Amino acid sequence: MDFLSLFVMDFVKQLQSPTLAFLIGGMVIAALGSELVIPDAICTIIVFMLLTKIGLTGGIAIRNSNLTEMVLPMICAVIVGVIVVFIARYTLAKLPKVKVVDAIATGGLFGAVSGSTMAAGLTVLEEQNIPYEAWAGALYPFMDIPALVTAIVVANIYLNKKKRKEAAKALEQEAVSNQLVAAGDYPSSRQEYLRQQAPADNRVKIWPIIEESLRGPALSAMLLGLALGIFTQPDSVYKSFYDPLFRGLLSILMLVMGMEAWSRIGELRKVAQWYVVYSVVAPFLHGLIAFGLGMIAHYTTGFSMGGVVILAVIAASSSDISGPPTLRAGIPSANPSAYIGASTAIGTPIAIGLCIPFFLGLAQSLGG
Amino acid sequence: MAKPAKKLVIVTEKVLLKKIATIIEEAGASGYTVLETGGKGSRNVRSTGHPNVSDTTTNIKFEVLTPDRLMAQTIASQVAEKYFTDFAGMIYLCDAEVLYGQSFCGPEGCGI
Repeated sequence: MDFLSLFVMDFVKQLQSPTLAFLIGGMVIAALGSELVIPDAICTIIVFMLLTKIGLTGGIAIRNSNLTEMVLPMICAVIVGVIVVFIARYTLAKLPKVKVVDAIATGGLFGAVSGSTMAAGLTVLEEQNIPYEAWAGALYPFMDIPALVTAIVVANIYLNKKKRKEAAKALEQEAVSNQLVAAGDYPSSRQEYLRQQAPADNRVKIWPIIEESLRGPALSAMLLGLALGIFTQPDSVYKSFYDPLFRGLLSILMLVMGMEAWSRIGELRKVAQWYVVYSVVAPFLHGLIAFGLGMIAHYTTGFSMGGVVILAVIAASSSDISGPPTLRAGIPSANPSAYIGASTAIGTPIAIGLCIPFFLGLAQSLGG
Repeated sequence: MAKPAKKLVIVTEKVLLKKIATIIEEAGASGYTVLETGGKGSRNVRSTGHPNVSDTTTNIKFEVLTPDRLMAQTIASQVAEKYFTDFAGMIYLCDAEVLYGQSFCGPEGCGI
């Protein structure tokens, strides 16, 4: 009961916090058909600013902290990133009307991390004066990259297997009936025909995927901030520019994400309804797994409760900036309406609106 | 007399930008122009100015001038075979007459 009341109180407080208020505001004006346009260039620069700030904070903190403390939370992050993909592979993919590749791509996107959700989580913790390790933001790539790599590798293994099975089947059929070729068996276009002729195996190389995610706009901004924080003295720009602007810019980004979420819901309606169920349940499930692993780190190495909440929040989040293009290129045959729709329209609002207060309440009731 | 040429137009997804640029360069075209575009096709309305935080829904349009039909077809078939089963895309060819363009016509000019 204690936990429930804490959660409800937090949730009401969250509704009034700028982060969630702007998100809901964005959804409302998009639903009303508002003509408001925030230029793409501004979103790009906001993403850069937010992640550079998170990187700088982390870098400055790492400079005077014990790096060995980071190891266990990092391992937890990697484990969560990988597990999430397999959860999608063995739950979502088995549901009716859900294509396996689409499900794996969705898993990859939900395992990957959203910079904006993480920024929102960090802001909430600061507002509530809950201490956390400043380097917790640096856990981002350790969950993001394993999730994307696992998703792309698993999807390609599945596709190769399927292709080999089909090839074997085709050979069998040919042997049975040489003349009996039904008109429907012909490939419908020249491209498909060429594809069938192509050699069966296209092996996935892991390094290019890692390289691509590191080069993505979100991660490169954060890693740059991290490096600058560790090796240089950026404290003056940090205090006068990045830190004070952080919350204001976050509110604009939340508005944009709210508007985008609304405009994507229609797209999600065209794919199977199971995606809706998955994108509501998955953030909580993933967050709870991370929370559990984080608690182990809390009891063994003294990882702070604030840090555990951040680990849970980044697990609950689903990537919206750098994940989609990586997956689109890595698993081209997956339907982007399915995975981007599930993540942006439902996954992200759930992660920001419900998961952050949920895990905060959980941490407060457990840790006092 | 202006120099006759073919204008090849490829409309596709922005994620393919670098990959298609490589194909065009390898085919031997002297250059290309890329525009960011939007519109509606068989894969729903794309890039309609809805706010978005990633580039996955943006479309691009390549315009390539090639000296003959053969080069244009080489580029088109490579792009289509590699990408158009999984990505949105459209390719068409137009006749063109190049009036000015040093790299395309060479040092002797376009012959006007």
